[in-house]
Amino acid sequence: MSSRDDILKRVRAGVGKDDFARRKAVAEAYMAAHPRGPQPTLSNELATRFQAKAEYLSSTVEQIETMSDAPAAVARHLASLSLGVQAVATPDVAGLAWVAAGLDVSGRVAVDADKVGISGCFCAIAETGTLLLLSGPASPATVSLLPETHIALVPVSRIVATMEDAFALLRAERGSLPRAANFISGPSRTGDIEQTIVLGAHGPCRVHLIMVKG
Amino acid sequence: MGKLHSQAMFFQARAAEKVANPILQRALQKAKPLFVGKRAKGIGALADDRLEFEQLRSACVDIRNRVLSDLDVWLDIFESQAKATGAEVLWAKDGEEICELVIDVARRHGVTKAAKSKSMLSEEAHLNEALAAAGIQPVETDLGEYIVQLAGETPSHIIAPAVHKTLDEIADLFTKTHGRPRQTDIPAMTREAREVLRQHFLSAEMGISRCQFLIAETGSAALVTNEGNGRMVTTLPKVHVVITGIEKVVPTLEDFATLMRLLPRSATGQTISNYVSLLTGTRRPGDTEGPEKTVFILVDNGRAKLLGSAYQEMLRCIRCGACMNHCPVYFSLGGHAYGWVYPGPMGSVLTPLFTGLENALDLPHASTGCNQCGSVCPVRIPLPKLMHQLREDQVTGGMRPWSERFALKAWAWVAGKPALYHWVVRRAARYLKWLADDSGRIRVLGLAPGWTVGRDLPAPAGKTFQELYAARKRD
Repeated sequence: MSSRDDILKRVRAGVGKDDFARRKAVAEAYMAAHPRGPQPTLSNELATRFQAKAEYLSSTVEQIETMSDAPAAVARHLASLSLGVQAVATPDVAGLAWVAAGLDVSGRVAVDADKVGISGCFCAIAETGTLLLLSGPASPATVSLLPETHIALVPVSRIVATMEDAFALLRAERGSLPRAANFISGPSRTGDIEQTIVLGAHGPCRVHLIMVKG
Repeated sequence: MGKLHSQAMFFQARAAEKVANPILQRALQKAKPLFVGKRAKGIGALADDRLEFEQLRSACVDIRNRVLSDLDVWLDIFESQAKATGAEVLWAKDGEEICELVIDVARRHGVTKAAKSKSMLSEEAHLNEALAAAGIQPVETDLGEYIVQLAGETPSHIIAPAVHKTLDEIADLFTKTHGRPRQTDIPAMTREAREVLRQHFLSAEMGISRCQFLIAETGSAALVTNEGNGRMVTTLPKVHVVITGIEKVVPTLEDFATLMRLLPRSATGQTISNYVSLLTGTRRPGDTEGPEKTVFILVDNGRAKLLGSAYQEMLRCIRCGACMNHCPVYFSLGGHAYGWVYPGPMGSVLTPLFTGLENALDLPHASTGCNQCGSVCPVRIPLPKLMHQLREDQVTGGMRPWSERFALKAWAWVAGKPALYHWVVRRAARYLKWLADDSGRIRVLGLAPGWTVGRDLPAPAGKTFQELYAARKRD
């Protein structure tokens, strides 16, 4: 007997029920309904809440009026931290007017040498101050992972209340999950040496969020 | 059960050694208030959003029970969904088979180095030893696991594997291994480990990870980390192997969202962990990154037999570590005293169940009965009750030592004869009073000196309650 059959036989014996087809139909109906558990009541409007939670998680946040202001905002941020003018960007935002802002931005997957990564996001979650990034040719996951600095452009119109709302948006707009759906909440951190929190364990040391109002 | 390498039989001997270890005690005393305080703050913050812990807990219990009561169905759905996304689904009966399967996948893809994100199941299987023996270099990448691997030790906590290590010990390990000047500044040490491990992420051909949940609806693995090593090992290497228990299935993305409101809060007090990844299938058309091969290894290793048993509730466990973080026994001894992969109250239940009750006789007794663990468990596992049940199983299975069995039988015989019982108790009360010194304390208890090694026993009054009662009634 294969290990699969052997394990499933033991599972069936433990479950102790026989009407598999009926139970599977019940399970499928449950999945189709995908009921939600207890939902939070958020006290502030979504953008305010998102910003407050993101800052609490050690991200820095600024607001700009329109997406065309983004290159200048990124340039100012990089200059303020003396981070140079080079960056890798996800192809979906690589088309912005980076050159005019004095930046050297290439749209591609990130490599180890990249110091700054710029991405958009699929949506953002107000409850926890979290970004949701979906992997794909236009939005490779390495851009938000390998560089020490991650800058994300977050349209205010894409801020939803909860993770459940993000899943609803994902189902409506994409239908299925990409290879990697990454929920990102601030810079990478560890507490493994004497429970002392240090930012920048393996992923970015700093995350800067640019909220785009228009 | 030698292949499980369990040292749980030596709990009592190890416990004495751990209590006497000042370095370990210092590390534990530093960690405990942090763990407890962070969780309390995280759970307390639920009220800001008008969420109630008990209500969320009930929802989490329902989700886990829904899966366990029809686990055959949910595994069937998960398997077909995962296969539909292009992943391979393999099954392992035990630790040995986990190792065989991983090594086979590695050989098929020419793997020489595997970067690992913390996996307690790989500890159950002793996968690192097996990989090394097969010529494949395993590299732990969770900072705590990395420290433990450098020290040649095993994790002492499921969330904070190196909680037993002090800064000085870690600084020595880094100096020895990295060949760089000794540093004792924690951010600088973290930076050093980051630089060393980055090269491993980039060069490993295989990433090995656990997952917190398997999502049936989408065939995905849900992986939660703070450091980002989970993202690294599932993004950069060309092969990704997920090793997880068969009980880890949850039905839907919404159910996952509900569980995520309690998992990080219970573990570290965080409202959400830094990185939560839903990994579905392999690299897609047009992708220029991500694994070309994704393999799930679904592991039994003692889990299936708990279904339908008195211990089924234990399978609800979501591995948050809150039970050990609140356990007075854990914080007196640290995790290594428990002798196997899982320490603390959840380990005291799982180790006997997975490795055999006869191989872990002391663990169900490693409890003060305070039920702190039961009261913080996000999925309401009645841990003290399960430990009691295991003790009963030891008695009915004839596993207790003959002296204990004889003493209980003798006591039961005497207690069934009131006149004899009173006679014996009167003698015992006088004997104990006679043993005491001038301050009314017994320094060495004659028949059981072990009880008075670290403490004195207050002596009884020398007369039994009934004698005193009768005397007072006469007055």
